[in-house]
Amino acid sequence: MSDMTTQDIQSVIVPPPADSLVLEAKKLSFFYGTHQALHGVDLPVKRNAITALIGPSGCGKSTLLRILNRIYDLYPGQRAEGEILLDGENILSPKVDVTALRARIGMVFQKPTPFPMSIYDNVAFGVRLHASKSSAEMDEIVEESLRRAALWDEVKDKLHKSGLGLSGGQQQRLCVARGIAVNPEILLLDEPASALDPISTAKLEDTLEELKRDYTIVIVTHNLQQAARLSDYTGFMFLGKMIEFGPTADLFVTPKVAKTGEYIGGRFG
Amino acid sequence: MSVTRPAVSTDQTPVRRDVVDPIFRYVAFFAATLLLAVLGGLIVALLIGGWPALAKFGPSFFFSTTWDPVREVFGAAGPIVGTVVSSFLALAMALPIALGIAIFLTQFCPRAIAQPIAVMTELLAGIPSIVYGMWGLFVFAPWFAKHIQTPLSALGGIFAGVPNGANIFTASVILAVMILPYMAAVFRELFRSIPPQVREAAFGMGATPFEAVTRVLVPYVQKGLVGAVMLGFGRALGETMAVTFIIGNSHAFPTSLFSSSSTLASTIANEFGEASGMHASALIALGLVLFLITFAVLAVARWLLSTQRY
Repeated sequence: MSDMTTQDIQSVIVPPPADSLVLEAKKLSFFYGTHQALHGVDLPVKRNAITALIGPSGCGKSTLLRILNRIYDLYPGQRAEGEILLDGENILSPKVDVTALRARIGMVFQKPTPFPMSIYDNVAFGVRLHASKSSAEMDEIVEESLRRAALWDEVKDKLHKSGLGLSGGQQQRLCVARGIAVNPEILLLDEPASALDPISTAKLEDTLEELKRDYTIVIVTHNLQQAARLSDYTGFMFLGKMIEFGPTADLFVTPKVAKTGEYIGGRFG
Repeated sequence: MSVTRPAVSTDQTPVRRDVVDPIFRYVAFFAATLLLAVLGGLIVALLIGGWPALAKFGPSFFFSTTWDPVREVFGAAGPIVGTVVSSFLALAMALPIALGIAIFLTQFCPRAIAQPIAVMTELLAGIPSIVYGMWGLFVFAPWFAKHIQTPLSALGGIFAGVPNGANIFTASVILAVMILPYMAAVFRELFRSIPPQVREAAFGMGATPFEAVTRVLVPYVQKGLVGAVMLGFGRALGETMAVTFIIGNSHAFPTSLFSSSSTLASTIANEFGEASGMHASALIALGLVLFLITFAVLAVARWLLSTQRY
């Protein structure tokens, strides 16, 4: 029945220019065991831009994000069908080295997930996995990453204290620093501000705005203002489908699908 | 005033709060102090009972290797070393396997199989120690003596000893088997307590399973791991029946891995029935020593935990 309501909706996808794409998901379906959570979703991701995914709870936006770096691989029984092209290569192929893929596509989670180690070691964690650096180089990477995550000034005097001792907002920015330290091409953020207070949220948004120059960002958010403020492109998802995708300004001001307008207007969700 | 509110008055509460609350506090206080009193009483009783032996033999009670109930000369070095060495060996054998079980069950094993295995692990933990002891004496020790100890004893050194399978090493193996399921069960609970997003974050950084487990998940629960290890060690120190069956019950100071030996608990269990006078006092003093060793282990565990920074 719920499918019936989306069946008569014609999806409208207005993709960014083809030569600006870094990643492109095509006809993506996803299954939690026998339950199908995504139905043929398309997602074009523009390089050095922020792409936001919005939609009501359970619409599949987090699921979509979790496919992009294949974190769902950790759970037997979950599988994806379709194609995700990253530089022309299908990352859903079993031949793909997922550890290398995850170094290229980093992820920040809803709740802060600092590791039980010092602030410095948290940031250096991923770098140490993928490259050997001298301690001077590592110092530089750590400082640079923390600066970019707008955390450096707050932690520079306690780099060797536990990352678990920071406030929630600081922990989340630490996770961002950890994510960008490995210099990924794409950074995935799954409702990164949902556990944060307004001031920490504002700081995090500033950080993302800054990062956009060097990274491609895909962010899942419940917060429509946040999507409108931050993103260049927005995808609206509903019941496991991409209902509408396009430039954020267009989608929010003149949505092409009635359902999008209803959601943005707060009539459901 | 035109507004009438229902009257709130302490007279109307069914139970007098000013009476119940102090009683509640005293009951809680009493419960907390009861344990302390029992602990204190135990130490005092052990001290009083063991005092004649401790006073007579002085420090040599701890360092002398002579344990001679006939001449009433008592030195506990043999059982002390037997206790500590057998428990350490047991821990060294059980720890990596218990970690392996817990990591496999929580990280790699399909859920459908993990649950039955976990239940079996818990069943193993519930087997009475005397069953382990019998199995050790009648099954494991003869097999071990024939197939492992006999060939190895030709090498001498730490492998020297009567090849009858009743020695520190076989006792340690039995102890390891006994504490293994217990530690594995606690470890498994610890790993299960890790939020899934921490694990996802570790893998999300591009860590391999080995890197994620060793660098993130184990450190995440290390305090609990230390605690569980110490509890397992404590259990090995005090384990009596199984060890009494298989350690050989020799008071001689153990000189090799395959020496027959005894532990504090096994000596007490073996001899208390027919002990009197100075002998009984010496056995009670052994109890005090066991108590102190266990206490020291817990203290070391506390100290280890307090030095961890994360």
